[in-house]
Amino acid sequence: MRAVLRDVGLLWLSFRLGALDALQYRADFFVQLVQSSVGLVTALAGVAVVFGQTDRLAGWSQDELFALIGVFTLVGGLIGMVIRPSMERLMEGVRLGTLDFALTKPADAQVLVSIQRVDVWRTVDVVLGAGLLLIAISRLGQHIGPAQAIAFGLVLVAGVVIIYSFLLILATLAFWLVRLENILVIFGSMYEAGRWPVGIYPPWLRATLTFIVPVAFAITIPVESLVGRLEPTTLVGTLLLAAGFLVGSRLIWKLGLRHYTGASA
Amino acid sequence: MTSHDEPVIAVRGLRKTYQVPEREGGLRAATGSLFRRRTREVIAVAGIDLTVASGEIVGFLGPNGAGKTTTLKVLSGLLHPTSGEVRVMGYVPWERPSAFLRRMTLIMGQRNQLSWDIPVIDSFELNRAIFQVPRDEYRTRLSELVELLDLGDLIRKPIRNLSLGERMKCEFAGSLLHRPEVLFLDEPTIGLDVTMQRRIRGFIERYNERTGATTLLTSHYMADVEALCRRVIVIHHGRLLYDGDLSGLVSRFSPYKTIVLDLEPAEDSIEGLVHELVGNERWIVSVGQERVTLRVPRSETTGVTTRLLTALSVIDLVVEEPAIDEVIDLVFATTAESGELAEASTDDPS
Amino acid sequence: MTRADRVGGLRDAYRAKFRTEIALQFAYRGALAIWLLGLLLGPIVYLVVWTTVARSQGGAVAGFSAGDFAAYFTVLMVVNQLTFTWHFYEFEWRVRNGFFSPLLLRPIHPVHNDIAENLSFKLLTFTGVAPVALLLLVAFDASLQPSAWHIIAFVPALMLAMALRFLVEWTIALAAFWLTRVSALNQAYTVALLFLSGQVAPLVLFPPAVQAAASILPFRWMVSFPVETLLGQLSGEAVLVGLGVQIAWIALALVMLRLVWRLGVRRYSAVGA
Repeated sequence: MRAVLRDVGLLWLSFRLGALDALQYRADFFVQLVQSSVGLVTALAGVAVVFGQTDRLAGWSQDELFALIGVFTLVGGLIGMVIRPSMERLMEGVRLGTLDFALTKPADAQVLVSIQRVDVWRTVDVVLGAGLLLIAISRLGQHIGPAQAIAFGLVLVAGVVIIYSFLLILATLAFWLVRLENILVIFGSMYEAGRWPVGIYPPWLRATLTFIVPVAFAITIPVESLVGRLEPTTLVGTLLLAAGFLVGSRLIWKLGLRHYTGASA
Repeated sequence: MTSHDEPVIAVRGLRKTYQVPEREGGLRAATGSLFRRRTREVIAVAGIDLTVASGEIVGFLGPNGAGKTTTLKVLSGLLHPTSGEVRVMGYVPWERPSAFLRRMTLIMGQRNQLSWDIPVIDSFELNRAIFQVPRDEYRTRLSELVELLDLGDLIRKPIRNLSLGERMKCEFAGSLLHRPEVLFLDEPTIGLDVTMQRRIRGFIERYNERTGATTLLTSHYMADVEALCRRVIVIHHGRLLYDGDLSGLVSRFSPYKTIVLDLEPAEDSIEGLVHELVGNERWIVSVGQERVTLRVPRSETTGVTTRLLTALSVIDLVVEEPAIDEVIDLVFATTAESGELAEASTDDPS
Repeated sequence: MTRADRVGGLRDAYRAKFRTEIALQFAYRGALAIWLLGLLLGPIVYLVVWTTVARSQGGAVAGFSAGDFAAYFTVLMVVNQLTFTWHFYEFEWRVRNGFFSPLLLRPIHPVHNDIAENLSFKLLTFTGVAPVALLLLVAFDASLQPSAWHIIAFVPALMLAMALRFLVEWTIALAAFWLTRVSALNQAYTVALLFLSGQVAPLVLFPPAVQAAASILPFRWMVSFPVETLLGQLSGEAVLVGLGVQIAWIALALVMLRLVWRLGVRRYSAVGA
């Protein structure tokens, strides 16, 4: 428990450092605000164009899709804020040898590298996404009981954990394959496909987005839980999968680290 | 284009100023500066005149931010001056006519123009086509450059697999395939080890001998300048401080010479005697039982030397000009103190 | 130098640039494949969305059947890949890191460098796109049966679209000479392009006002028009008019490019290269 508290403390510290850094470039805030808003409006307009021709898309209503885009933006913001910049830095660190600095610090190296860079302005996405989600929920006019809220919270956290573990595994591959900078770009492209419910995709693409690049767990499944369409078994399965991913990524990280220190010694 | 007696490079009244945005701290100032900007004028080059004759190698000296790189960029056509007249081989550089570009080159240390991931020879081939070098000439020049720079098999490898010095050699070869008549070299040996610096230096010298190319060179390493340039131009705070030969620079800016005497070991302390003979405490650097070192004004050198030679049993005597680095330091230190040029800003705009 | 010499020199430079560029991009083929994946995924997603809509609406939306959508978005994917440029992402980096200066010191216009890069990129990536397109046509049961004249008209429409999109986007890229941060401008352009060039949905599915805007602005002529031509959605007359509009836009874009270029370089060489 003490270790967890310390890790949360580290995350907060890292966030503050990122904020101090970002505050030097305030113009970036406006750029990010404009870009995020435009991106959000673009996504909504895309949905609106589709729903100009139909009332339901594979069983989803327009407001449900707005909620989906809210979660898409929110989770995308979290990834863009901490996970992706830190993973990029990790891969760079392996290539240039600067990872040594993280390894010589008296804290868990995995935690350190996972929060080593924070792009504070991406909180704009988190806020916008959450705002859109709230609006969409109120428009759905559906009663959301504590059970659904808790289920949503659990599945959302599980989804983010799955994505984090997945990206950590990808970045850890850099220990063995040094020229791998673009692998995160693939994830970025695949993530874009997550702004639509994965149910509409043909089986091969659905399988890819669920199991190979697990975008579905972070976006589609949380929203399904919110609108009460999630099977209890899927909920449990998602939670178990998150735990499995977390443990698996930890193992692979340890393995990679051993390879790294072994290779450079 | 240019006849022989006409200078290859002619600069008159060259000035270059930049508008630099000013920023204040604080959130309000920062948000305010999003909408309106306050700017400040920075003078990079404050009016210089110079001419360079065909075939000369001229060293361009000055501390960081003196305006060397700005001047070089104006001469090579990358920058438009604020005012002044510039002709290089009769062309106005910043109009960048292709005939001009095909006759000159700009080489910057630590910056590579060759493609990182393909064999050097392929980048050369591209330069050949871009500069429209006829194939047979290209072949002879390439083999000549390969030999002069001792490139050997390097040109079959991609740049990323080469060391810093090897990259610089390839950079030179690639930039000289079109046999430019004017070379602008900005810190060409920066970051290289001493051996590689010497080889690059030797190459520049030989290239100049073979082709008679006019060369303007900036460098932080005095060794480069001493080895290559009979003539140096010193600028500081954007103004010309000195234009002439290297030895003149020393005698002009260093009023002292160093005298070192090796003595036969004496039994008594000679310190009092030396003080008496020299006549000025401040000229004495050190007095030992076997060696005396002095730093004496130029005009007094003969007198002091004669007095010491007659009074002491001297084994060896050396009268030295100070090292060029010291002189340069002295130049910049004195002008900074005197403050006569202080109104010009020294920010490095490049 | 005579004009013939200049043209010959340029041809030589292009040939050399192609050779080095293809070698270079082959060296980066991994990164290239990833780029391509991102480029292809967008049209595939919209293809899926719209075929789903068509099926849920009893087979067709505004005259588009599921097979029509499959054909539309597959052809769109190919056209998008062939007309796509990336220079406005690159210019900011070039200007900021001084990589623009060497290009300026070459005795040929830097635009030629980028044209050659662009064409060699397309040549290489097309070999990856073509099989993907065929696969999609089969997998989604696309109804694509162009007549001979549709194919014949498609070729000039596509080439003019490539030229137009390149000129427009290269001119926009020059904004990097004035702005330190061009990403907001690039994004605004990209969004406009997304909707007005028919990448989100065929333009006929949009309200009339949007359709009019797409036709008045250059967007439709950069991507959608060749697709519409190959799919046989346009009359012979409309195709001819479209080609004329493309040529007119290209002429205008050339004038703009020259003007903005001259102003941009003047600014670049005034504020410090």
